[in-house]
Amino acid sequence: MTRSWWLWAALSLATHGAAAAPIGFKDSWMLMTDLGPNWQEAWINHAFTARDAVGAGGVRMKSDDGLRRRTLVEATYTRLLQRWNLPHAQANVWLFAGAGGVRGNDFDGTRFAVAPGLQVDYETTRVYLAATARLYRAKDLNHDFGSVRAGFSFYEVDYDEVQPWLVVEARRMRGLSDKVEITPMLRLIHSRFFVEAGVNNSRQLRANLMYTF
Amino acid sequence: MTHRILVSLVLGTAALTAQAADTVVATVNGMVCAFCAQGIEKRLSKMPAAQAVFVDLKRKVVAVEARPGQALDQKTISAEIKDSGYDVVKLESVQQTVAELKAGAKR
Repeated sequence: MTRSWWLWAALSLATHGAAAAPIGFKDSWMLMTDLGPNWQEAWINHAFTARDAVGAGGVRMKSDDGLRRRTLVEATYTRLLQRWNLPHAQANVWLFAGAGGVRGNDFDGTRFAVAPGLQVDYETTRVYLAATARLYRAKDLNHDFGSVRAGFSFYEVDYDEVQPWLVVEARRMRGLSDKVEITPMLRLIHSRFFVEAGVNNSRQLRANLMYTF
Repeated sequence: MTHRILVSLVLGTAALTAQAADTVVATVNGMVCAFCAQGIEKRLSKMPAAQAVFVDLKRKVVAVEARPGQALDQKTISAEIKDSGYDVVKLESVQQTVAELKAGAKR
């Protein structure tokens, strides 16, 4: 991995793909990253209510053959449309709205881009299910994105202990890859951090991180 | 007479000190993930009257212990948990410290 790759990740500052919940609690900031060789994404957002967050972020992606590259920088708004707090589970519907500029190595200049999306998830202390769809649209560009995630925790833990999970994600982005990327990941959840790491079906290392402050 | 009053005051204060803590225990729906529930701990810990906070994911309860001589407002506790993204379904006061509740949960 190059120095510029890490630098971009550090500078471009949460990813909908990694998130158990893509915003934190009221008045918190959340940083999220999703890092891999073909896809690097990072966001930071601020929850100004328990249901709304505004932020900024970016996605850098390249095609499987490495010939096409895209860099999207966007302002984001995330809204919790619906939440069901159940005795032993939680389910959510999230709305994402993004607008910004996209650059590519096969066209000149920066194009205005919009990126609306939706996520539904269901979680207990032992099971996690999520589906995310996001449109990445600009003039003559369509990189719509879809992912599904399913996982389970090996055992229950106390609040201050680390809980290991096995999560499998399948995702696809139109216009950059012809195949579905499948990644089994080890997820570690603690009250202070959320990390995931795995190797996808192209034998590429992926890592996700979330941090709330 | 003055001596008796002073003795009574000292004994009374000692009795209050020895009395078990005032702790509010909330039963919370939706609390399934430690990373997501950290907001509950952080927000409740900032309450001036809160001395200690305990999140019990397994039993789905949150306990807030009051500082000595201070009272906890149950409505505020409920609002803070709501702002963390969760729903309070039951609130009760108990005379146990957070440390005691924690020890009981570990058993």
